Parts: sequence; structure tokens; C-alpha cells
Amino acid sequence: MAIETPGKRFGKRLRKSKVFGHGHAAHKSTNADLLITPLVDMFVIIVLFLIANFSATGEILNMTKDIQLPTATHVDELELAPVIMISNDDIIINGAAVARVADLSRDDYVTIPALEEKLREQKKETEELHALANDGTAFKGVVNIQGNKDIPFRIIKRVMFSCQGGGYGNINFAVLRGSTGPGGEKTASLP
Amino acid sequence: MAGGMDLGDGKGPKKPLDATINLVPFIDLMAVTISFLIMTAVWTQIGRLQVSGGGGDGDPTPEKDDKTVPVTLLLSEKDLRLTVGTSTFDPIPIVRDAKQQIDLTRLTERFKDVKEKLGPDQTAITVQTEDAVRYEDLVHVIDECIGDGFPSVSVAPVST
Repeated sequence: MAIETPGKRFGKRLRKSKVFGHGHAAHKSTNADLLITPLVDMFVIIVLFLIANFSATGEILNMTKDIQLPTATHVDELELAPVIMISNDDIIINGAAVARVADLSRDDYVTIPALEEKLREQKKETEELHALANDGTAFKGVVNIQGNKDIPFRIIKRVMFSCQGGGYGNINFAVLRGSTGPGGEKTASLP
Repeated sequence: MAGGMDLGDGKGPKKPLDATINLVPFIDLMAVTISFLIMTAVWTQIGRLQVSGGGGDGDPTPEKDDKTVPVTLLLSEKDLRLTVGTSTFDPIPIVRDAKQQIDLTRLTERFKDVKEKLGPDQTAITVQTEDAVRYEDLVHVIDECIGDGFPSVSVAPVST
């Protein structure tokens, strides 16, 4: 008896079957060519789309669920600057909470002393760094306020006064970039 | 054979005319680029509205031009009151749409009248805001001011 390669061996009845046996289909080549052209086309489109959306400044703001930004249309590019986050509960600067919103509603100060102190420290550090680097650029005093859209102005007002007290007079409100629809309504790029 | 196409002399093997471009390095490069761009992509489009606050010891404000007139918009929970110099316009009651945004159509019309009267040099406006006004409404009004030709927006509290 001849030695056969391992594998399925069908009976006489099925040997000439196109499905199971060595019928006509068995003579077809088993090598299948992959079409690379659509793949390359898709890659090119994806690369172009991603390059069009590319932002050299990166993520300046740390987006959280607690803070929902308002939407605006006539906006400029966000600058790299200290960020003050105002949620419904806390006021945070550079990741550290400096005040609680509930406490601010009770007292009658114009500013937030802890925030003002932090900003003064930051201004001093920045100016020292610029002096060491001897780059000759003046301190611009730019600060970004990332506030929840439901915060009342009495809190925003105190944050703004604190910024000015701390030497940061150029205040930017961070907003979601919206687009004006055909009916004049504004739509945000992301909720 | 002069002046004719070179058809070969029949000697030696014929070279194939089709050139095959190796696409594998190209696909590798594409894959790496796509991975890099996806990792560094910023999906949320965020911008800024620059405002200047009233008071404090921040940057010194530029000297006021004699040609311009102080334009003030008082923003409260109920209405908007526009004041140009010494003249005050009728208050605009706040009407909200389905998305709870303030309808600023009437304010836009009023801004157009003001810009026609004062000319393009008038770029400064002060938005006086009451304490209870929501931040979203304030941003909406500032956005409208910038869009209607008042890019130098100052935000101040209502003086009591």
C-alpha cells in the first residue's frame, strides 16, 4: 500500500466530488493575491484627515466631567498658560484645589486669598525663570479660566479679581469652539 | 536600423518592461504615521475669549482715545441694557430658545445701529454683569459682542 500524506481521506464515492474530493476545484491555485491599492488609498485618506486635525499645541486643558465648557463662535487659539478650573464644587489651579465654591458663597471677600497667593508664587517663579534664561521676554500675565457653564458670575468675578491681584491681567475664558448653523444657531464640536 | 525603434537583436533574454514598486515599506510608514497622529490627536476643539477685568493691578489698560465713547452693556437675569455715552436704550428682555440660550437678535440689531453711529474705531465695550448671571450666558453675550465688532470686551461687576 502506498504511503499517502496525512489528512482527510474520503471514500471512493466522494473522491471525485468537487467539494470533498479531488474534483475540478482541487486544481485551482491555493495562492490568493491581496489587493493592496484600496488599503494604501485608505491609509492616505486617514493620514490626511489626521494631519488636518493635528494640533501642535497639544492638550492645554484637562477635560473633566465636572466642568462643561460653554460654547462660543468668535474664538482665538488657546495659549499655554496657567489654568484655573472652576467646577460646581472646587476651584483648582494647576491640579491643586485652593477653595471650595460652597465656602465662597458664604463670605463677602472680593478675592480668593489662597488663589491670589498661588498666582503670586507662580508669577514670581515664571519671572525668575525668564531672568535666568535671559530671554528678554516680558511677563504677559496670561491665565486661562476653565469654568463650568452653570457657575454664577459671583464666583467668576472673585476668580477674576484674584487673577488681577496675583498679576495675571490677561484673562482668557476657555470655551468649546462652536459653529454657527444655517439658522443662526450655534453647535459645539463636542458636547 | 537607423531611425526606427530598437527591437533588439534577438540575442540574450528579454528584460521585462513592467517595474514593480515595493509597497511594503510605504505601508509600514503609513501605519507608523497613523499611530503617531492618533496618539497625539486633540479631538476637542477648544478656543479662548479674551476679556479684561475691571480694577485690580493687572496690565495697564491702554489710554482711552478721545474719539471713542464708553459703551456699556448691563447684563442681568431679566434684561439687557445698552448705554452709549450718556444715552440709554430701552431694555431688551431676555428671551431663551429651546436650548435655554439667550436670543440676542435684538441686541445684534442695536449693535449695528451703534456701530453705524460711532464708526469702526469704537471697539471697546464693558459688560457689567449681575452676580446671579450664569457663566454660559456671560460667555454667550461676550461672543456676540466680539462678533458684532466690539473685540475689546471688559467684564465688570455691577457697581452697587
